[in-house]
Amino acid sequence: MAVPLLELENVSKSYAGTPALRQVNLSIGAGEVHALMGENGAGKSTLIKILAGVVAPDSATIRVDGKAVQIEDAASAHRLGLRFIHQELNVVPALSVAENIVMAQGYPRRGGILVDWQTLNRIAKEALERLGVSHIDPRTRMARLSTGDRMLVKISAALLSSDGAPARLYVMDEPTAALTREETGKLFAVLNQIRASGSSVLYVSHRIDEVMTMCDRATVLRDGQSVDSGLLSQITHDDLVALMTGRTVSEAYPPRLAEPSGKIAYDGHGLTVRRGEIVGLAGLSGSGQTELLRTIFGSPARAWRTGAAYVPKERRGEGLALGRPIFENITLPHLGTLSLGGAMLMPRRERLFAADRGEDVRLRAASVKQSARQLSGGNQQKVVFAKALSGDPSLLLLDEPTRGVDVGAKFDIYSIIREMTTKGMAVILASSDLPELIGLCDRIAVMRSGRVDTIVDARLTEDALLNLCYGRGPNAEAA
Amino acid sequence: MRALPILRRFGTLIGFALIVAFLWWRLPDTFMTARNWLNITQQLSMLTVVAAGMTVVMVMNDFDLSVGSMASLAGIVAAMLFSLGYPIWAAVGVALLAGLAGGLFNGVLVGVIGILPFVATLATMTMFSGAAFIVSGGKTISGRVIPEAFGNFARQGLEIGPVTVPNLSMVAVAVVALVWVLLEQTTFGRRLYAIGGNLEAAHLSGVPVRRFKLIAFSLTGLSAALAGLLYASRVASANPTQGSGLMLNAIAAVFLGMTMSEEGEPRVLATVLGVLILGVLDNGLTQMNVDSYVRQILVGSIILVAVSVSALSRSRRS
Ligand SMILES: Nc1ncnc2c1ncn2[C@@H]1O[C@H](COP(=O)(O)OP(=O)(O)OP(=O)(O)O)[C@@H](O)[C@H]1O
Ligand SMILES: [Mg+2]
Repeated sequence: MAVPLLELENVSKSYAGTPALRQVNLSIGAGEVHALMGENGAGKSTLIKILAGVVAPDSATIRVDGKAVQIEDAASAHRLGLRFIHQELNVVPALSVAENIVMAQGYPRRGGILVDWQTLNRIAKEALERLGVSHIDPRTRMARLSTGDRMLVKISAALLSSDGAPARLYVMDEPTAALTREETGKLFAVLNQIRASGSSVLYVSHRIDEVMTMCDRATVLRDGQSVDSGLLSQITHDDLVALMTGRTVSEAYPPRLAEPSGKIAYDGHGLTVRRGEIVGLAGLSGSGQTELLRTIFGSPARAWRTGAAYVPKERRGEGLALGRPIFENITLPHLGTLSLGGAMLMPRRERLFAADRGEDVRLRAASVKQSARQLSGGNQQKVVFAKALSGDPSLLLLDEPTRGVDVGAKFDIYSIIREMTTKGMAVILASSDLPELIGLCDRIAVMRSGRVDTIVDARLTEDALLNLCYGRGPNAEAA
Repeated sequence: MRALPILRRFGTLIGFALIVAFLWWRLPDTFMTARNWLNITQQLSMLTVVAAGMTVVMVMNDFDLSVGSMASLAGIVAAMLFSLGYPIWAAVGVALLAGLAGGLFNGVLVGVIGILPFVATLATMTMFSGAAFIVSGGKTISGRVIPEAFGNFARQGLEIGPVTVPNLSMVAVAVVALVWVLLEQTTFGRRLYAIGGNLEAAHLSGVPVRRFKLIAFSLTGLSAALAGLLYASRVASANPTQGSGLMLNAIAAVFLGMTMSEEGEPRVLATVLGVLILGVLDNGLTQMNVDSYVRQILVGSIILVAVSVSALSRSRRS
């Protein structure tokens, strides 16, 4: 058997006495696309950060081409040919897309001093084109890009072959969480190219279907320990889920419990939502879903008071104060009712309350007093969700609410939403995950260029919905 | 590796203990006495009040450069009203209102118009200072126009057994207690910390960010004015520059305090420790007859060391 490209052996890491990784093993062959799976907080990102030299392990043996190596910092990982796209995007918002792309290798110079902007922008343009991305101008400031576009830029940057150490292994931590189906398809084409060229990929995703189609093998982390899945072609979707969760999550979406009541909960902007109803917002990215939700939400202070709740799209930018404890994040909009006379804090009561709400969404945290920063990405998303659900809202506005959330927790969140609709809550859900829209919604509003284009019953196929998003008839041949 | 978090949390506290131990050793007779410590707290009362107020805006990641000028202006306003024959309560009241109004003005600039706090309060710092000069005609107001009772306030205190706790110290303690309750025990404080943690998330969670900035800056202005009055009472006079040393020290004290919290957020009790570090150093070094310029260099260096240790221990890989 050929020597694996990368082997990790007995990787262990604890945070403040709590083990995140316990003697984890992982091995990736040359030309292999290897999935790293596991529930939120299983330790995927931690393992990747150890490989990147960002987090120091308690113990680890790392071998490249069979030879033991030390990874002390980001530079030594780079020299070994490892390239990273981390879950939490590290971009420089004030710089241009092109600058963010070439940052790792340095700017091209003219006469050794002046930055050669023309070459710089050309390199960036080519890097983006490799991913089939033409809608991003390399000269745009990074700050103006959506999360999905930022991810595309980061992927392009990682793919840009640099001089010095050739890339051997690309490590991608949930690269598709914010991508549309099409963009995902383009990324997969690139992954296939990488595989064909003999380089490898370590790929993290909570989308089981993606992993089943794209990856050769998987390593599953559970309770800090690792299991090798073997060849994915030999196991089923459900086997993989069972490996991750230890339970069989047979149905991805809980059944509808009741019919919408008929009373109108929201009416405006071409959209009518009845109490107990879940209405989806579909559309190509940037068709105005986020803006519509914001408009409906209106002034936040008044909205929360009148029973609306909102899960914004960017958990780190808009949803959380990372440096604050989990419970403070969850109770912030509800302090009025969780305090004495709206003025004096009752921290104990808040913590109990937050712990309960966290449990509802399967939040995995050592304590609600931990700062949100210490949570895994998916668990941070659950905090944002718990915050919105906590006040028993009558109108729930969701913008990509399950981004980065694992299958098991997704099912629980869907169940909670369903259950709350039986009590009369109305939901408007914007999602780029078409199966999620179809599985959860009663009706789907398709948005095009900033307004609601058509509203359809949610009982339709994914292809039909996609056609509508492109402004074609539901039965048109997919292009 | 294990030592780092401890150093991060308690480094400043340990540093303070070392400074105290050092001064105690060098000044065995005079330093560790009730009299000296009461003296220190009295000397520090103005700075404590300003720093506590500064903490309120720094919790939101803002800061206020105008507090020193506001302190001078408040002293001048009160003294001017004294010289026009107004009673103490009226003069003090108007001076405090001036602080509130000046703070509110800062709040409007930062919270409503959206000017960076550095720029906005740099401008108002100059304006308040100019106003103090105009009102006073550039002169020190002192002597018989200052009512005796006003000057006596700073000289008197509460007798508890053998010691007399100065009034000024008690005012400072009261202000700290109020700010502590406000920041740590009320929903107002919680929301301020939320704004400091992530302004956009706080806004989307229903925190009326603009109103909070107005209130917070007003409180900082009010505390600056109060400090100015304490100062004027202590020296029984007012001049248009007497508060100017307060601003940098107040910011330094908050920064020293911030080195003591996990996430680097300001806490008012930690600010008080920051004030104590600055004050104790100053007191001890003065007693040791260290040249005042050398003293400045030493104090500056200690602030840098504390903040650097905290920054370095944070940036280490976990
Ligand atoms: N800086 C930290 N301090 C304390 N605990 C941490 C820290 N970073 C991670 N953890 C803990 O380590 C565990 C693993 O987190 P990690 O981010 O690796 O999970 P993950 O598998 O990537 O999850 P997700 O799918 O949600 O991204 C979690 O329980 C998390 O709370
Ligand atoms: Mg992760």
